[in-house]
Amino acid sequence: MRGIIFAFLGGAFITLQGVANARISQDIGTWQTATITQFTGFVMALLIFLFVRDGSLQMFKKVKPYYLVGGAFAAIIIFSNISAIHRIGVTLTISAVLIAQLGLTFFVDIKGWFGVAKQQMKLPQFIGIGMMVAGVIVLGL
Amino acid sequence: MIVGLILALVAGSLVGLQNIFNSKVNEHTGSWASTTLVLGMGFLASLMVGLIVEGGNLFNLQNMQPWYWFSGLIGVGVVTCILNGIKLLGPTYAISILLSSQLCFALLWDSLGWFGLEQVPFTPQKLLGVLIIASGIIVFKFGDRTVEAGEQF
Repeated sequence: MRGIIFAFLGGAFITLQGVANARISQDIGTWQTATITQFTGFVMALLIFLFVRDGSLQMFKKVKPYYLVGGAFAAIIIFSNISAIHRIGVTLTISAVLIAQLGLTFFVDIKGWFGVAKQQMKLPQFIGIGMMVAGVIVLGL
Repeated sequence: MIVGLILALVAGSLVGLQNIFNSKVNEHTGSWASTTLVLGMGFLASLMVGLIVEGGNLFNLQNMQPWYWFSGLIGVGVVTCILNGIKLLGPTYAISILLSSQLCFALLWDSLGWFGLEQVPFTPQKLLGVLIIASGIIVFKFGDRTVEAGEQF
């Protein structure tokens, strides 16, 4: 039950984050919003990290360098997300974000890129993607 | 509408890619070390692109409200909830709930128009669309799939 509550709240927080960013950007601008929210999030995570210290430079050196800069995508993600919410609303934006996200993961899984364990997609996965796209069309009509 | 959809699709693809990269980092370090790095990189990238696009205006925060500073903390809630959800339920079950919950809250937000965003009126058709997408997520996540290509005939 606790796991369900965590997952449910996680989803609520993600949507809340997108909505809060869209709201803040109306007042101070999109890039200002991206910079400030990433900054406060970074400071908070850093403070917690300094307490728990669950990593070291040695550990980061074991990671392939380009995986380390994955966080930088956030600049484009936040900008696109805010702009999309202003143009097409929260529901349609979140739906399209989810489909693109699952679609990309699906493709990487099939190809086994980035050292991800190769997974074979079966009929349910194709039906699932089809249903999601159909749902977005129903939303957008 | 097309531009909005394309922007959302770009965001979603990069979220998917970022999740893969972040999990690779997390294989070697603790979750807080990874989270700190991820948010630090996001901050640096936003700062640099922001400076290129806006120049000195990036620091012009005239209409800033105090609570805007704290909105970044929502991200810490996101990370904690997802990590604990996956730990307690496993990825398939947790992510299905997470995605469906996102959609329901999105519909709620559009319908109520909270935070001064433009209100998008609720219609049964919208609810139907969200339910179809959520069912699609469940079929996708819980449908049988074979791990390792070597097992196929």
